[in-house]
Amino acid sequence: MPDWLKYVRQHLALPDCPPEREAEIVEELAQQLDDAYGEGLQSGLGEREALLAAERHVSDWPALANDLMHGGIGQTKGVQRRRLRQYAARASGRRPPSTAVPGREPENDTRRIAALLDAFRQDLHYAARALAKKPLFTFVAIVTLVIGIGVNTAIFSVVDAVLLRPLPYPESGRLAVVWSVLGKEGRAPSSGPELVSLRERSRLFDQFAGIWVQGGALTGKGEPEQVKLGLVTSNFLSLLRTRPERGRFFLPRDEGGGAAPVIVLSHELWQRRYGADPKIVGQSVLLSGQSCTVVGVLPSGFKLIFPEGASVPPKIDVYVPFQWDLAGQSPDQGYIRVIARLRAGATLPQGQAELDNIAGELRSEFRDYAEQNLHLQVLSLQADAAHNVRPALLALFAGTGFVLLISCANVAMLILSRADERRNEITVRAALGADPGRIIRQLLTESLLLSCLGGAAALAISWAILRILWVLQPAGIARTAPTGLNLTVLGFNLIVSLLCGILFGLSPALKSRATNLASVVRDATRTATENTHWSRQLLIGCEVALTFVLLTSSALLVRTFVGLLRVDPGFNPNDVLTFQVSLPDARYPTPARAIQFIREAERRLSTLPGVQSVGVVSHLPFDDNLPNWYDYFWREGAPKQERNTRMADHRSVLPGFFDSLGITFVAGRNFNTSDEVANRKVVIVDDSLAKQLWPDGDAIGKRLNVENGDFVRDVAEVVGIVKHVQYHSLTDQVRPQLYLPYAMAVRANMSFTVRAGSSPQLLIPSIRREMARLDKDLPVANVRLMDDYVADARMGARFVTVLCGALGAIALLLSCIGIYGVTSSSVTTRTREMGVRMALGAQQGTLMVTVLCGSMPPVIAGCVLGLALSRGMTPLLSTLPFEVQPVDPAILASVLTFLGFVGLSASFLPIQRVIRGNPITALRCE
Amino acid sequence: MFNREWKKGSAELLVLSFLESRPRHGYEIGKLIEVHSKRRIAFRIGSLYPVLCRLEQRGLISGRWIEKPGERRRRYYRLTREGRRFLADERSAWEEFVATVNRLLSSNYA
Repeated sequence: MPDWLKYVRQHLALPDCPPEREAEIVEELAQQLDDAYGEGLQSGLGEREALLAAERHVSDWPALANDLMHGGIGQTKGVQRRRLRQYAARASGRRPPSTAVPGREPENDTRRIAALLDAFRQDLHYAARALAKKPLFTFVAIVTLVIGIGVNTAIFSVVDAVLLRPLPYPESGRLAVVWSVLGKEGRAPSSGPELVSLRERSRLFDQFAGIWVQGGALTGKGEPEQVKLGLVTSNFLSLLRTRPERGRFFLPRDEGGGAAPVIVLSHELWQRRYGADPKIVGQSVLLSGQSCTVVGVLPSGFKLIFPEGASVPPKIDVYVPFQWDLAGQSPDQGYIRVIARLRAGATLPQGQAELDNIAGELRSEFRDYAEQNLHLQVLSLQADAAHNVRPALLALFAGTGFVLLISCANVAMLILSRADERRNEITVRAALGADPGRIIRQLLTESLLLSCLGGAAALAISWAILRILWVLQPAGIARTAPTGLNLTVLGFNLIVSLLCGILFGLSPALKSRATNLASVVRDATRTATENTHWSRQLLIGCEVALTFVLLTSSALLVRTFVGLLRVDPGFNPNDVLTFQVSLPDARYPTPARAIQFIREAERRLSTLPGVQSVGVVSHLPFDDNLPNWYDYFWREGAPKQERNTRMADHRSVLPGFFDSLGITFVAGRNFNTSDEVANRKVVIVDDSLAKQLWPDGDAIGKRLNVENGDFVRDVAEVVGIVKHVQYHSLTDQVRPQLYLPYAMAVRANMSFTVRAGSSPQLLIPSIRREMARLDKDLPVANVRLMDDYVADARMGARFVTVLCGALGAIALLLSCIGIYGVTSSSVTTRTREMGVRMALGAQQGTLMVTVLCGSMPPVIAGCVLGLALSRGMTPLLSTLPFEVQPVDPAILASVLTFLGFVGLSASFLPIQRVIRGNPITALRCE
Repeated sequence: MFNREWKKGSAELLVLSFLESRPRHGYEIGKLIEVHSKRRIAFRIGSLYPVLCRLEQRGLISGRWIEKPGERRRRYYRLTREGRRFLADERSAWEEFVATVNRLLSSNYA
């Protein structure tokens, strides 16, 4: 029985036909010939005759092949003809004629697309096979890419969530935040009259609304609970275009003096405290001793997104309309955080121009505003909410970009070394007539496949990185939605993967064009061309430069963070437990009642076993939940122009506060009972305030004009000077501080600081018991260690530093592998040359110098470039939300030494092997 | 035997018409044409196979490998919806052409 498959294969040549299709054709023709042969036998022919009869079915095999090719099984006629023309041109040494086909029919286009897709499929198949053949190469390349693309995708998803994605309010692009800018003090909350003026005078904004966050207590049914109160204008919630889940939001009639007290509850509070009671709307609840009617419930997940430092936390439990007339308040009392909604079609710059005009009008109409040098600033709510984290995120994103470039450089170098190995294969393919474009496409497909595989695996890594970031999250990032992998992030990952594939695949692919048979034959004994040599030198130079910049920046940030860990906040946070109370007006209507309660609480707590000292203060350091209290101060009798120029943080304290937090007295004394008995107005200031007003050091006994707790000005005598306390940030000295005795500045929200001998948490039950004995309806809230507040303050810096440190380490690892791999392999390629030189009597030292002269220049050039680039990085790093120390020579020198060491050892070790070995072995080396 | 060019011109139509009733494999089609034309029209494998490929490429027929018990697998072709429409159009055009040619041949002008 004849082997018809073999017979057809021997006779039918189908160049450019896809292999699978060719196999089908061969099989089908063989089948039909076999049918014909069988029929011949059946009809009584002998084997020989039947064979000949079957063979006669195809008398002209080339004509059949031609028919099949023209029938469109592999290439279209046009492609076939062009291929033939190109072949003829190549054979005769002419340039091929233009391949443009005028007036192509749509059917041809479809065929062309089908042919392209088919070619792509073939390329992909070939690329997968080529990668599978070199598993180690593929593994190393993919791991390198996973690191580069993974960190990039993770940081991008944070950037996307924090900086790019719109805020979770309808038409959030038109939301803006308005700040009053007072002289040198910078931005500040606005006063009631300012808000009213804005509403009256603006034409470009639909609405202005304001919020002021305070603490309150919910009593009545159940345990008393301290809640965050959002005191708001009646249009605040509707301006955000949120819809109530139940009931309604506020109406204009709910705002102002004399309005019936109404509240809106957060979804979480409604569920937690009222068991999601469907009939909550219309019920009365006791809020800070006052009976209020619930008019609505907010939807689940609603949160406020305000800039860090605005003292507006994301979660507020209860919203209450302002119960006073905003217009009638003093223009000095800035406490309202103002948001606005731009009219459709109006832009922020137009809005800013309008507010500039309004501020000008206010300054000319009111003396107070002129003295304060009032300006108004309007910013997009989204941009301002992220303004603190933006520089850090962008710096990190740039860092990950560097890591990605280093990964790409490494993979490009890997591919280049492989291109040397594959030079023969490529050259033979080209010599056999393969289209140069096709070879480039094939190599590019390989790198794209590699990068896409890396990109897909990187998604898993970035998911893991995001989980870690979630643990480290600083407040500015926590404010926005939880970060995860969404479509934007997936799109980014795909684009980055494709770009990487093109970036590291293009150069080796283009290099394949320059390859020709003659050069391969000529350079048979060499393994690297001059071309790839220069590409590698360039890649090493770039890689060293990028690593240099990353290492310098990381080292700088790590050192800054270590500095932050050591910074003295001005107090001792260890073993101090804190908690807050909010005295409701209804039950503590007079200052005397409040003073009596706070004093008694302090006295009782200090008698508890294990308690060393107890203090009370209106604002804890690093606590951003309540609005800060700061105002102007001046020397008694200061001329008018000096008055509204300097501001200080005002704090109301009981004398035990300084002792319990370990704040040191620089001069003078603490408050004492005799002050009160004699009804003396006294104040303690910090050293920086004392230095500002009395640089000669004679502050004690001087008299200072300050604001007391009732927004009323008072004159007090300086009796003590304490060390400055870092209230807002660990590094920035925002404002000086002054402390007033509680009896002189009674406030409703007070924090207790309890210093214990050890383990302050153990005191919590006894503290709660003691406070409940004093007032069972008063909630004890925010029970936290002072250490936790300090840790939070370090969080932002820790986030950036840990990530930068990690990026630096990754960059270092990748570039060490890259530099070492490439330098040592280029030294190894010179083994034979070394052997010849040694055989001719060259000295070891001379050989060493020769090799180093070849391998060190790109490392040195990279270091020089990196040095220049890192000088450019310093101003960028200074935009970070904490103070970064300038680049110092010690860091630069260490980075230089380290990278130099990597470069030297990469050259030194392989050449050492050659020198110590036998010259004959080196000579034999190919 | 007929003129080669006539054969060539009618090959596609014949193949399509033999696939109208049911799917068939390539050799079977050739054989049927030969038998039903009483051996006056016969296609060799080398001529018929490119026709099948061309028709498939144009989407008029579609081939599928089918393995029957005790036999090697064969490629069976069936008419696509497009092919059915094409066959109907071509068949009436062919009939019209033949009628026209007959009329011209039988007329006195010829």
